[in-house]
Amino acid sequence: MKLEFMSGNMAIAEGAITAGMRFFAGYPITPASDIMEYLAEVLPEKGGLVVQYEDEIASINAALGASWAGVKSMTATSGPGFSLMVEALSLAAITETPVVVADIMRAGPSTGVPTKTSQSDVFQVRYAPHGEHLIPALAPWSVQEAYDLTIKAFNISELVRTPVILLSDAVVAHMWESAIIKDVNEVEIVNRKKPSTPPNEYMPYKPDEDLIPPMANFGEGYKVLVESLAHDERGYYRQSNDVYRKLIWRLINKVKRHIDKIYDYETYYLNNETEYLIISYGSTARSALAAVRDLRRKGVKVGMFRPKTLWPTKEEVIKEVTKDVKKVFVVENNTGKMVAEFERYIKKAEVVSIPILSLDIPTPEEILEVVSSWL
Amino acid sequence: MKWEILIVGRGGQGVLLLGHVIGVAAAKYAKLYVTGTEAYASETRGGESRSDVIISDNPEDVDFVKVRSANVALFMYPYNIDSYLNLLNPNAYVFIDATYFKESPKGPWKLFKTPYTEIAEKTLGNPRVGNMVALGHIIGRTKMLNPEHVEKAIEELIPEKWINLNIEAFRKGLKEL
Repeated sequence: MKLEFMSGNMAIAEGAITAGMRFFAGYPITPASDIMEYLAEVLPEKGGLVVQYEDEIASINAALGASWAGVKSMTATSGPGFSLMVEALSLAAITETPVVVADIMRAGPSTGVPTKTSQSDVFQVRYAPHGEHLIPALAPWSVQEAYDLTIKAFNISELVRTPVILLSDAVVAHMWESAIIKDVNEVEIVNRKKPSTPPNEYMPYKPDEDLIPPMANFGEGYKVLVESLAHDERGYYRQSNDVYRKLIWRLINKVKRHIDKIYDYETYYLNNETEYLIISYGSTARSALAAVRDLRRKGVKVGMFRPKTLWPTKEEVIKEVTKDVKKVFVVENNTGKMVAEFERYIKKAEVVSIPILSLDIPTPEEILEVVSSWL
Repeated sequence: MKWEILIVGRGGQGVLLLGHVIGVAAAKYAKLYVTGTEAYASETRGGESRSDVIISDNPEDVDFVKVRSANVALFMYPYNIDSYLNLLNPNAYVFIDATYFKESPKGPWKLFKTPYTEIAEKTLGNPRVGNMVALGHIIGRTKMLNPEHVEKAIEELIPEKWINLNIEAFRKGLKEL
């Protein structure tokens, strides 16, 4: 364990190394490039490989291939690159391939304002890949959390056999803070479940009780099928409603079944006297918490809820933290997106969307001004 | 104890490095809470660079990652300076590299106008350590950090062959200005 002063992107790279990632494939894009730059220097010393491919499509597909060869792998990009990766994310979902994609949000659409921040892509990571899937996404708000949630992203991806998105943004990427970097034996590391059956009995998509099939990697003597068509437990394509329904519901339910391992959040000043609740996430939550403290100094009974997991939402938690408050303010750096997800579960309290589009970061003053007008 | 530090300059002047040195000294050696951000243009040299560092012994002071009311500011180059003046606390220590500023901004702050780059070039033979002369001056006047912690941070961040020159520049600003 050691204390280091580093940027959010360096912390993602360090977290990946601690988690056991040994293959990184990527194509440079601001504000994600320095993850690859940092890894190119340090990963080879750990016996890992960093490859810059010709584009984002090749990068993510290489990461999927490496994962099937048994290596924890990842890529990193930003909105425009993520758009190119969504096809392969569908592939990762149906083939149940563990992989981590760090998506460092910047201001779009398209090339937008390349070096500036945004939280516009919170729906992109959830809904852009086609077909049915439930790909988890985690959003860090500090350098320490960039490190911790990267490890968590790998653990989820290995446990549930799913792609996981680490959804950071340009502010967290270039934020400099201290972070405690741990040794491998000081942190829980999850590795994918291997088959216990002999090779001749192995069926690559036959799940255990926990809905997750043990994963044999290439070269281990098992027959491995990486099938993108809807398949049965053997991995054979079947055009059948029964097979399709069974597969799709299992893909969704295996994530839901492990929601307690996936869902994470933090609350601030939330007690039975709290009248107002601010919900915020990622870098914007830093400003929101400063605003909450300012409001409390003025006597306003306000608290905060910060989801670290943006997808999937744990319905019970949203219901619980909002059950006794009068108003909920959802503060985010976009035109108002996650508010729609939270609002579905909030029954009593009034929900107010506070979208503050800012290329830098919404300031506490901007948040105070809007929230104060609704008190 | 809370310090909000704003450093603005031109790409190549070592603005981001100063932010890192202050951050490492405060976080690793003084064991304080630190946050900060940096912004720079796409050019390697010449564009506007900005570093915000917030240091405190109270974790509640480092929620917001940028300067709200700077009590220390260093302007190494006159980029958009007027746009930064509203971020300065009236009691702020304001340091200006007179090498590049013809006129000083006017305000209630404690203003120090010193030709850091020129001093570095004339007395140390290298204008590139003007940033360290300025850092020495800042630490000497504000007592914001222990100079030994700053020197340890410099040793940690600077390539070996340049360490002595940078330490020398830092001490010049610390002791002679």
